[in-house]
Amino acid sequence: MVGTCEAIAWGGTISSSDFHKAASAFIRRWKLINSDFPSWSWVPYQKLRWISTDDKVEGYLSLEKICLLRPQENEEEKGGCLEEADIDGAGNNEYLDEATLVPPPSDHQEVHYYDFHILHCASYSVPVLYFRAYCCDGQPLMFEEIEKNLPSQSADTLLNSKWTFITQEEHPYLNRPWFKLHPCGTSEWMKLLFLSDASLFNNEIAIERYVASWLSVVGQVVGLRIPMEMLKEVGGSQL
Amino acid sequence: MTSTESSSSARKVVVLLRATGDAPILKQTKFKMPGTDKFIKVIDYIRRSIQRDTLFVFVNSAFSPGPDETVIDLYNNFGIDGKLVVNYACSMAWG
Repeated sequence: MVGTCEAIAWGGTISSSDFHKAASAFIRRWKLINSDFPSWSWVPYQKLRWISTDDKVEGYLSLEKICLLRPQENEEEKGGCLEEADIDGAGNNEYLDEATLVPPPSDHQEVHYYDFHILHCASYSVPVLYFRAYCCDGQPLMFEEIEKNLPSQSADTLLNSKWTFITQEEHPYLNRPWFKLHPCGTSEWMKLLFLSDASLFNNEIAIERYVASWLSVVGQVVGLRIPMEMLKEVGGSQL
Repeated sequence: MTSTESSSSARKVVVLLRATGDAPILKQTKFKMPGTDKFIKVIDYIRRSIQRDTLFVFVNSAFSPGPDETVIDLYNNFGIDGKLVVNYACSMAWG
């Protein structure tokens, strides 16, 4: 009974220092379970001493240059392009310089790389996902391009809540424009996630698995899959 | 492990649906489905039954499975007492 009360009192949030602990636990476990995947790392951020005197751990979780392959949808587009070219050709019997109509080779446009950073959001006390995407030549992708690659359920959410879902904002540490998944609803669904089994709720376990649980929801938005072993018996003998 | 996996994937899995928060309780909360089915089938079933678009679906161990996970994989990892308990809630707000 006491456990249930505590769980209800918990608001789904995580403090900055607990986030650092949670991130470290997540990195350890990810390495253990997904040794053949690229691993997440903690990027520490040193504030200038004369600006901040507290020794709060600042930094973020990072997973970079991840290739997310999507089912091929470009075939249809290419078909569309060719049809248009044909119509043009039919209406105009003169020779058309096709150089500008030929789409770039498919292998060039298929591969997109993603960088994911997980930061602690001080105003909501929850983790927040920042990401950016680029082609293999380093050319950053515009949101319209990323949108095409999003899983279908994210595309639906985008339609309904365009400005409260994913927006482009300045990365707090890198001061460059990154895409950000809005964190205002996070504590609510994190609370639900952990309430589903109140007997499991225990502060240490919750911190250990906080990031993995959070990522199981957030990863789906961008199509980043988290192996379910990550959530299995955390704190058990496997660690 | 690998030999049992191939035979168990043909097995049927008992799924138990549990409403949380203000989600309505369904008439049928327990059903059997082929282990090879994807989790999207469960999500779609709940979505159709409660007629809400925003749905938050999760299993024990504070985990929200992706739509492409197979039911047998979920059962093998998170099944309890011969069942896969799937919790659902209506509210799923991002911003």
